[in-house]
Parts: sequence; structure tokens; C-alpha cells
Amino acid sequence: MIRFLHTGDWQLGMTRHFFSEGVQERFSQSRFDAIRELGRIAKKEDCQFMVVCGDVFESNLVDRKTVSRALEALKEVPVPVYLLPGNHDPLNAASVFCSTTFMDRKPAHVHVIEDTTPIRVVKGTEIVGIPWMSKRPLQDLVALTTGKLEPIGDTLRVCVAHGMMDNLSPNTDDPALISLQAAENALSQNKIHYLALGDRHSLTKVGDSGRIWYAGTPESTDYSEVRSGFALVSTINDEGVTTKEVNVGRWKFIEREQVDLNTKEDIETLRKWLENLEDKERTVIKLRIVGALSLSLYSEFEELIFHIKEVLAAAETRVNNLIVIPEDADFINLGFSGFASCAVERLRSNVEGSGPDPIASRDALSLLVRLTGRER
Amino acid sequence: MRIHSLRLTNYRGIDKSEVLFSPIGLTIVEGPNEIGKSSLSEAIRLLFEYLDSSKRNEVKAIKPVMSDVGSEIELEAESGPYVFRYFKRFHNKPETTLTIMKPKLENHTGREAHERAEEILRETIDIDLWKALSIQQGEAIQQADLSKQTSLSAALDIVAGGHRSDLREESLFDNVREEYGRYFTEKGSEKKELQESQKAQEESETEVTFLETQIQDLEKDIVRAADLSRELERLKKQEQDLHVDVAEYIKSLDKIKGLETVLETHRLKLESAQKSEHVAKRDKEERQDLIDLGAKARKAHVELCESSTSSTAIVKKAEKDLDKAQSEATKTEDGRKESELLLNLHRADFDYFNKKLHLDQLKERKDRIDRAREESALADELLNKTSIDKNTLETIKTAEIELITVKAKLETGVPNVLLRGLTNFELQIDDKKAIVLKDEELSLSVSDRVRVTIPGSLQIDVTAGSSSFDLLKKVEEAKQKLDDVCNNAGVSNADEARKSYDVRREALQAIARQKEIETENLRDLTYDEVQRKVIGLGKGVPDYLTARILIPKLPENLEAAKGEQQRAEGDLEKANKEWEEARMKLDEARNVRDGLREQYQKVKVKLSLKAEELNRAVDELVRRRKIISDGDLESEHSKFTKLVHAEKENVKSAETDLSDKEPDRVKALAETAKGSLGTVEKKREAAQNKNTEVRTRLKIFGEEGLHEKLHVAQSHLDYTRQENTAMIRRAQAAKLLYLTMKEERDKVRRAYVAPLKEKIERLGRLVFNDSFEVEVTEDLSVASRTMDGSNVPFESLSGGTKEQISLISRLACAMTVSKNGGASLILDDALGYTDPERLKLMGVVLAKAGKECQIIILTCVPDRYSNVGETTVARLG
Repeated sequence: MIRFLHTGDWQLGMTRHFFSEGVQERFSQSRFDAIRELGRIAKKEDCQFMVVCGDVFESNLVDRKTVSRALEALKEVPVPVYLLPGNHDPLNAASVFCSTTFMDRKPAHVHVIEDTTPIRVVKGTEIVGIPWMSKRPLQDLVALTTGKLEPIGDTLRVCVAHGMMDNLSPNTDDPALISLQAAENALSQNKIHYLALGDRHSLTKVGDSGRIWYAGTPESTDYSEVRSGFALVSTINDEGVTTKEVNVGRWKFIEREQVDLNTKEDIETLRKWLENLEDKERTVIKLRIVGALSLSLYSEFEELIFHIKEVLAAAETRVNNLIVIPEDADFINLGFSGFASCAVERLRSNVEGSGPDPIASRDALSLLVRLTGRER
Repeated sequence: MRIHSLRLTNYRGIDKSEVLFSPIGLTIVEGPNEIGKSSLSEAIRLLFEYLDSSKRNEVKAIKPVMSDVGSEIELEAESGPYVFRYFKRFHNKPETTLTIMKPKLENHTGREAHERAEEILRETIDIDLWKALSIQQGEAIQQADLSKQTSLSAALDIVAGGHRSDLREESLFDNVREEYGRYFTEKGSEKKELQESQKAQEESETEVTFLETQIQDLEKDIVRAADLSRELERLKKQEQDLHVDVAEYIKSLDKIKGLETVLETHRLKLESAQKSEHVAKRDKEERQDLIDLGAKARKAHVELCESSTSSTAIVKKAEKDLDKAQSEATKTEDGRKESELLLNLHRADFDYFNKKLHLDQLKERKDRIDRAREESALADELLNKTSIDKNTLETIKTAEIELITVKAKLETGVPNVLLRGLTNFELQIDDKKAIVLKDEELSLSVSDRVRVTIPGSLQIDVTAGSSSFDLLKKVEEAKQKLDDVCNNAGVSNADEARKSYDVRREALQAIARQKEIETENLRDLTYDEVQRKVIGLGKGVPDYLTARILIPKLPENLEAAKGEQQRAEGDLEKANKEWEEARMKLDEARNVRDGLREQYQKVKVKLSLKAEELNRAVDELVRRRKIISDGDLESEHSKFTKLVHAEKENVKSAETDLSDKEPDRVKALAETAKGSLGTVEKKREAAQNKNTEVRTRLKIFGEEGLHEKLHVAQSHLDYTRQENTAMIRRAQAAKLLYLTMKEERDKVRRAYVAPLKEKIERLGRLVFNDSFEVEVTEDLSVASRTMDGSNVPFESLSGGTKEQISLISRLACAMTVSKNGGASLILDDALGYTDPERLKLMGVVLAKAGKECQIIILTCVPDRYSNVGETTVARLG
């Protein structure tokens, strides 16, 4: 029986454009913290080693500081760690795994899988890793490697690979897709006993064998991920494979489509929803707003977003489908009767679509309201 | 605001002064200079503007000199719904009190009083307008700046029938303009802030592009590194293969070298044998040549001896032929000389006859000339005797004709009657019968009277009318003239003149003929030359006969002499021909003899030389044979010929062995393989260097953290882009709002310009005339005046007119706003530039305006305002 921790897609050094400098630093730190957390889990779950299935780093061109901090975190992992180069950090001439910083500071229990030669990790267990040598392989590396393997009886063999399974990818033309059929054949022929995969950031079981898994990324990276923030404790024994999902991640990416805003009540509802969000400083939201607001309600909405941006890790809003209509109520208290009143009327008609440049006109009206307020 | 009273105490030079004003209409405050009139308007301004504790220079300035007392200002006025009394003491024991009597009683002191007063003022009047409308001393010519006067604008709005503008709208507009001014200049250009924002975005974009390029370059280097690794592998394999090939070729080349040495040895032996064979052959050939040379010399010697013998006989014969030709030539030459002498004699004879003939002809020509000369001398005599020349004769003839004409006129100087027959008829002329035929004419001269009678029909008398006496007189005159002319010519009458003329003419002709004869006979000679020739020839011709030899005889005449000469010429020609032929033959014979002699000499020399040559050849052969015999030479040659043959066989065999090894091909292949190896080594070295270079670059840049740097740059770009977009959006909003408001404001302004213009023109027509018009701009100033159809810009008007129009426009403004609780108008010594006539008219204007608003006039020249109608007058001092 062997037990190991299956993880991948750490994407160390990942950056997000919507993060401010401070948030970006927090986000990066969380990814290093996740390594330590994985170390603790490995120990707690009696794992004999850890496999990281590719994309350890976001890029081969990450800063020395990122490499150093990653190796510092890895030092604290109490079991041997096997790092597989993936499509983000392929083992090419610029490989981060060949960088001076990495080579000089790499702890002894951390290993880089440099080729497909089986590595004996513990007695009766070996790893066959399939590293990416370039960003765009031109064939199914898993099928190629397992095709050359002989069935094995007295040793458990864990295949560590990176890439998209053909049954999960919409892009069927990609020559590097991993054939589920070939993988399952290798399993059934006893060439391998478990296929540990990386690349997909969501925890995913592939096929029906129960032996092919994506562990997903231990810390979320995007809105599109379904079950990110996990790692997998995998146990292989004579009876088969058992897996245990362990939650590691603390960051949340929430995207809401069609947030309908038309009335003050709608804005209040949104306000409450935002207020109820937990762990706001590690929460990223994206709101796609639809509907129609008066100028004053729009100002209120803007104020709400301005405020929430200060609290959340990041908040992105898409207001292309939100219409702002200047209403009488917006101007009723301004008390204009002369030329200012005529100017307001002209700008309003622009906003309502009968004149040129409705957006600039809306902004102009907002400015007028603001300046009038200052005047008071 | 309407001022009821103003009290000043210890104010500049004023100890105490109080002025009461009429709340409506005109108040004139009179007083001499420096009495403090201008202080009144100043005091009102200071009262509202400064706290009692103010240390401003303006406030300090009102303190009386040399006196430590407080300056006091007290004002009673009404403004809007308020009626109040406002008091301030500056400098010493400062104090402020405000007592509001209406609408409800209020009492305030200190700062509170100041602020309340300010509040009332702000609430009820347009302070700016109030200040703008007041004319300070010396400022009369300027127009008031009315562009920001909200109460005026509001009042005009109402007059123009539009919506009344909220007073805050102008203030809002100022804010909007200020907001616009943050981003744009007055002329609409972008300001620095906006430009810098865009620049910051561009810089961020450049930074991102730079990093992206760097990353792309690294990506390319990664691909390049992989390519180079593969290339190095390939080159290494190629290098190894080439090393093997080169080793193989070197082995083959060693074998080829051995064979080449063998071949070279045989070739050297062959060459040596060939040289020995060549020497033997040459010796043998030389011996033969020597033998042949001896034989040839002997044969030639024999032939030359024979030739020498035959040449001697030929030369002798030729000399005989030459002698014969010589004697023939001498003979023919003598014949020729004889013919030549005879020809000379005949030629002299012929010449003699010719000269003789010529002498006779010359004599004859000379005789003819002499005869002609004699005739000519006679003719000259005749010419001398007669003087009638052609002109004289013509004169005589003319005189004669005139006489005849006059005579004829005498005879025929009567009327002439011409009768022309139309048919044949008879008539009578002076009783003589006459017949006139058809188409015949009959002329009748009427000397005195003629009667023509046609029997039975008609009688015509024709009578001459002229006088016969006149004609007779003319006849006499003509006759006299003729006689005179004849006498002058030396003749008695015309006929004699004619004869004399004929004699003269003939004499002239004789002279002319003599000249012709002389010319004809002299030809190209002169008379003297002819004479000399006749004398010369006359001597020479007879002498010839004396000198001539007797035989042959002299021919009879010229013809015979000519025949003899021709004959002698023929003989000489023949003798010449014969002589020429004989001489040619002589030359020919001499040439033949000389040629044969030369040949003979040559043969003799050759013979001598050949004999010497033969001797030498015989001697040489003998000497050589003594050294080596002919037989030995032959056997030596034969031996070396066999040796050459044997060595040739050896060379051929070595060549075959060598060519079997294909030396050229092997060498070329070895050369190529070495070259390729060098190339591959160089390529590998270059690839190795390149690889090191690329990997070093990757090492250096790969760990620089370009990934994060790019992110930072992109984030910064996002930020600057958002900032820039937001700023552009704010700027556009400000611009749109400003432009829209300005357009609307200008529209309203344009509307309310009309009522102000109308009011200015109404007042102005009182001063100028009914055609007075002004152009008022949107900021409510007068741009030009039109009067009697002539438009003059305001600035070009005279000082007086400018002052008057400025005052009128202020009055118009004050009238416009007065009902609205607007400003009272304070004029401090205005109209200083206006002449007395206009002053009167301006007085009417002031009176009219005074009915609608409060006007306070401060003046030291009260007479200037003596025509302003009913006024309240206050006197200072």
C-alpha cells in the first residue's frame, strides 16, 4: 500500500491584472502558504511523498524572489516532493528548474522529474513522470510513454503527467491531448496503476476507473474554476485506489451574470449581498450589471461599488448593459429656471438618445449635479 | 439700495459732515475740490467692505493727519425690504452698530453687525453691479464692466420675456467654467494635466511593449537553444563520420605514394637511357653528315670548273658584238648632224622671205597713213574757214521757219470754212462754181470775205475779223531776225548757211576717216614704231642675201622656201630615228658584255672557295675517324636503343599498377573529406558559441523576473489607461457641459441685449438725434455708435462722446434694475469732457433717469448740472 499527496498547478508567481499591488502580494503569499499547508496535510495523512503535476511556476521567467520563496516553503514539506515541468514551466533552455537560484537552493528532498525514466520513490513504488520539454508538444506524451512501458507486477507505478484529457477538451485538434482510452488501456494492462494529472485547475475524476484524477490547483486562480482549492490524498493498495479530497484554498472568485438594477430596492439588495460576503479580503467578484437607473441612483450605485472595492480583494463591474436615464427627480431640486435649465434639457435629450454623444452628456449632467451640490 | 443719509466724522480732512439724499431722483452734492465729495462714495464702500479693526492701507488712509481720533461713517439707507442705520468707527475705539428698522427691528453690534450688513447687501443688491455702475473721478470715459452682473442679467431676462435666471446659475456657470479650465485653455487646447495623463499612458504602453518584446526574444531564444542542441548533435555525428572517412583515405594515399615512387624511379632510368641513346644517335648522324659534306663539296668543285671554262668563250663573243654596234652608232650620228645643218639653212631662207614680205606690207601701210594725214590737213583748213555749226544752222533755220510761218499766217490768217457734203451738190463760192461730193470736205480761207451760195436755197457770207496790219508787222520782225542771225554767222542767207554747214560736215567726216585709216594701218604699233621697223627691215633683208652660202641655191619665193624647209625637217627626223636605234643597240651590247664578265668573276670566286671547303672536309673526316671509327659509332647506338625499350616497358607496368589504385579520385575524395571536416568543425564551433551565447542570455534574463515585471507594467498600464480614460471622460463632460451652458447663456444674453439697447438709444436720442443707434455686445458693452447712417466704433469716438455714451449706458442699466431693488448710481464729477451744449442735453437724460432710480452726483462744478430739472442739492464745506 502506498499513500501520496497528489497536487499540481501551483502557478507560483501568477499575477492578476485586477489586483492592486497590495492584493497581488497577498494573493502570491497565499500560494506559498498553500505549499506549507500541503506539507502539513501530507504529514497528517501519512503520505509517503508528494507529486506536483506540472505548472509549479506560472512561467519560466518568474522572479528569483518567487523561486526563493517557493523553495523556502518547500523546505517545510516533510516528505519527498516530485515536481513535474508543465506547459507553463517546460524543461526548455530557459527552464526555471535549471536556473541558478533553483539549483543553488533546492532542498534535497525536492526532485525535478527531468525525463520518463522510472524513479523508485519507496520500496515497491516507482514514479513514471512525463515532463513537458516545450510549451507545445506535438503528440500525446502519455500514450507515447505508456506505450513503451512493460506491464509490471511487483511494483506499484504512479504515472505523473500534465495536459488535457481528450474527453474534457473542446479543442479536439490539439495534438497533445491525452487519450483517455490509451490511459485506461495502460491501467488495465498493469503498465501503470494511477495517473496523476495536472493542468485542469478544478478537482476532477476522469473516466470510470477511479485511477485517473486531476487534483486541481490548491488555491483558486479564476472565476471559471469549478472545484479549485483542493488536493488529493491518494491511496493505492491491492484492493484498488481510494482518494480523499482535502480543502486547501482560501481565495474565492465569484462571478455574477445579469445583476438586474432598476430601483433603489435593487441597489439595496446588492448592497446586502455584498455585505454578507465572507472573508472579503480574499474574495474577488465580477458583476455584470443590467437594467436602467436614474442619474441619482446611478451615483448611489457608483458609491456602493467604490466602497466595496476598498473592502474586497478586487471587484470588477461590467456596466455596458446598464442604462442611466436622467430623470426629472434628478433636477427637480436644483431650482434652475434660466439658461442652466435649457442646458440641462439639451443634455437630457442627448442622453435619451435624440442627440449626439449620450455618454458624455450623461457625464456632463452628473458633473452639473455635482457642481450644483457644491454650490449649495 | 437707496441711500437716505451719510454722516462722516473725522474722515480724512472732514471733521464732520452729513448729507441727506433724495431716495428717488437726483441728489447733487456740491462743494469745492478736496472738500471730501469723493470721500462719500469711498466711505460707503469702506463701510460695507472692512471690519472696524481693519489695518488695510485703504482704511488707514482715511485717518485724519496729526489727530488720534476714530474715523466714523454712518449710513442710513433702504435696500430691498430693509431700512437700516449702519455705523462704524475705525482706528480709535473701533465700533460697529447696525440698527434695522424695517421689516422688523434688529440691533447688531461688532462683527455680527458687519456680517449682517453684508448679508443684507448680498441679499438685496448686486454688489458688483453697484460698483461697476459708479463712476469714480477720472474714470468717466470707461464703460462699466457688466458682463458678470447677475441682477442686471436677471432684470434683462425679465424685460426680454424669458425665464428669470436664478442668480445661482451665473455662479454655477463660473464653477463649470472653472471645471472646464482644469482641462482646457480659454481657446480650447488641452492643458498640461490632460496631456501628461495621455503621456503617462503612452509611456506605460511603451514599457509593456518593451517587456513583451523582451519576453518574445527570450521565447525565440528558447526555441533557438533547442534548435542549436539538435544542430550540435547532428554536427557531432557528421564530424565523427568524416573522421572515419579521412582515415580511410589516408591509408589508401600511403599505398599510392609507394607506387608513385616506383614509377618515378623507372621514369628516371628511362630518361637516362633515352639521353644516352640520343647522344649515340647524334654522334652517328654527325659522322654521316661529315662524310656527306665532303662528297658534296667535291661534286660542286667539279661543276664550277666546267662552268668557268664555258663563261670565258661567251664573254669574248659579247665583246665583238659591242664593237660592231659602236661603229654603227657613230655612222648614224654623222648623218643626223648633216641633216640638222641643212634644215637650219632652209629655215633662214624661209625667214628671209617672210621678213621681205613684212617690209613691203609695212611700207604700204605707212604710205596709206601718210596720204590720210594729208587729207586731214586739208579738211582742217576747210573747218577753219566756216563757222556754221549745227546749232548756228538750227538758229538760222528757226528764224527762217518763223518768217515763213508769219508769212503763211499773213496769207492764211483768215477764218476757215469747212464744207462737208452730205450728198452730192453744187454751190457757188464768190461767184465760182464748185461741186462738193458726198463725204467730201471743202475748206475755204477767208482773208477778207467769202460768199458761199447754194443755188436756190441759201447764200452765206463769211467775213474775216482780224487785222492784216499786225500780221505784216510780225513778218517784218521775223525777216529782220533772220537777217541778224545770218549776219552773225557770216552768211548772207539761210541757203548759204546750209551750204556752209554741209562743207563743214564733209571736212569733219574727212578727218574722221583719216583717223580710221591710221588706226587700221597702225594696228598695235605706233607710227614711230612702224617707221623704225621699215628702216630696220629695209637694212636686214638685203644683207641676208649677201651673207648666204651659194649652194644650195636660194629658193625662188616664200612658198618654195617653205617647201624646202619642210623637206629638210623630214630628213632630220629620219636621221634622228636611225641614230637613236643604233645607240640603243650599242647600250644593249654593252650590258650583255658587262653581265657576262660579272658572272665569270663570280664563278671564279666560288671555285676558289669550294676548293678550300673540300680540303677542310677531307681533313676533318680523317681526324674524327682517328678518334672513333664509323663501326664503333653504330654499335654504341644500337646498345642504347635496346636499353630504352626495356625501361619503357618498366614504366608502363608501374603506371598500370598506380592507375589501378585511382590516385586522383582518392586524392580528391580525401581533399573533400578534409574540407568537409573543417567546415563541419567550424560549424560546430559556431553553433557551440551560439549555443553558449543563447544559454547565457537565457540564464541572465530568465531569472530577471520578466514575468512579474510584465505584470507590474501591465497593471500600471491598466491603471494609467483607466485614469486617462476617466480623465478624458471628465474633461469631455466638463467641455460638453461648459459649451452647452455657454451656448444657452449666450442665447439668453443675445435676447436681453435688445431691451438694454432700446433703453440706451431712447436716452441717447435725447442727446444726439433721432438717428442715434448703438450696437450692444453680449457682455452688455457698447461696441459702436451709428448716427445719420455713419457707424463709428466706440473706441474711435471722441472723449466727450465716449463719456456721454458710457454714462447713458450706466443710467440705462440703473433704470433697468432699479425697480428690482437694484443699485443707486453715484457719479463722482462725471461729464468733465462734455461741452456746455451737450451738458444741457445730458441734464435732460439725467432728469429722465432720476425718475426711475436714485442718482447721486458729486461735483465741484455745480453749473455743469444746472439743467437736470428738479433735484435735491446738498452742499459740502
